[in-house]
Amino acid sequence: MADHTVKAFDEDITRLRGLIAEMGGLAEVAIAEALDAMVRGDEELGDSVVARDKKIDALETEVDKLAVRIIALRAPMADDLREVIAALKIAGVIERIGDYSKNIAKRVGMIEGRDRFEPLTLLPAMGELASEMVHDVLTAYAARDPSLAREVISTDAKVDAFYNSIFRNLVSHMVENPATISSAAQLLFVARNLERIGDHATNVAEMVHFAATGTYPPEEDR
Amino acid sequence: MTRIHDSIKDDATAKMKARDVSVYYGAKKAIDEVSIDISPDYVTAFIGPSGCGKSTYLRCFNRMNDTIPVARVTGTIELEGENILDDTMDVVQLRARVGMVFQKPNPFPKSIYENIAYGPKIHGLAEKKADLDAIVEKSLTRAGLWDEVKDRLDDSGTALSGGQQQRLCIARAIAVDPEVILMDEPASALDPIATAKIEELIDELSGRYAIVIVTHSMQQAARVSQRTAFFHLGKMVEYGPTSDIFQNPIEERTRDYITGRYG
Repeated sequence: MADHTVKAFDEDITRLRGLIAEMGGLAEVAIAEALDAMVRGDEELGDSVVARDKKIDALETEVDKLAVRIIALRAPMADDLREVIAALKIAGVIERIGDYSKNIAKRVGMIEGRDRFEPLTLLPAMGELASEMVHDVLTAYAARDPSLAREVISTDAKVDAFYNSIFRNLVSHMVENPATISSAAQLLFVARNLERIGDHATNVAEMVHFAATGTYPPEEDR
Repeated sequence: MTRIHDSIKDDATAKMKARDVSVYYGAKKAIDEVSIDISPDYVTAFIGPSGCGKSTYLRCFNRMNDTIPVARVTGTIELEGENILDDTMDVVQLRARVGMVFQKPNPFPKSIYENIAYGPKIHGLAEKKADLDAIVEKSLTRAGLWDEVKDRLDDSGTALSGGQQQRLCIARAIAVDPEVILMDEPASALDPIATAKIEELIDELSGRYAIVIVTHSMQQAARVSQRTAFFHLGKMVEYGPTSDIFQNPIEERTRDYITGRYG
């Protein structure tokens, strides 16, 4: 794409895209480490994930400020306008994804008898898939690639399938071992958080599609 | 070839229909086979970089290009079914039906009253002084100027502020009861408040008159028009609903221009 006649405009847009990429990178790491901490019972790592969420929040504020500045000073049009609007919304969604990771990390110390829960072997796989969605959707954002965005949307069904399977597993576990209900309920929340991360990555994918093409993805994808 | 958005249909309410209009300045082709309909149902904006031909094209609609000796216009432009490019067309009559407002306000060096009354008088639209008074008041009211000038109608038109002078020129165009009003950058010499008043006026006049505006301000085109045509190098590149042109243009050249990447 050709450069803007006003160079500062290009610099603003580049910086906006950089901030979103940085937020996304931090969110990806947060998902992986929160789950790692959960599986190994590493409370120190969990605390560190919780602490680092502040950085994601701060970046969101920075995206908001820059986007408002660009709209006020540059009056963007067409794909520039869509890009800025999408960045505003995407930053909000990634911030939320960070919160879900933080929520998982907070539960690390609440699980007892880790080796007795089969879902603890399934959760990392589910988390990897959710984290991959976040990674891919940011790649699609960076490349302005609507077809990759649509692939991300289709991946969400797999995350949902994981959730359903883990849900059933945990419920039967609770029925058989009432003593573990408290821990099992915590793990249900963890699975639920991952499922929500998949949904949010899907929302980002829709925004990426919109920014790139001006249209939302077809209904059958969603 | 113009890329016309799918949502644009041939419309029955069109006041003027230009078909394959080309304009030559000597051997140079300044406009290359451009077709468009204009209607009172919507304001049409022509946008594009300097020298793209948008003003040249606008001036075809009331044959202002006739005043340029080397200019030659081909194609047809129908006003209510009549081809205005025919030699038999009465150009004076045409310019009463298709009025024009220019970039720099150009009131006559006469009183405010005379500025408005001149056209209706020479076109025989008023028999009695009372009729003329009524036309002056109605025109100034529609142009949003009446309250500001009603107590000093005998002052010179040139004594008004720039924004008031421009509204006086719009009132003057309205006075002869035109069907179409052409505006060539009507607000580019005005401050933001005077500009806003002109834009508000365009909004109010739309529906009664078919309005076409040429503007360099993209924001202005976005604010006042419902249809936008983008011109480049004498061609109409893209034509569609204003909101689509500014949110999601189809042609790359349109996109590059409206996002400030052109050239």
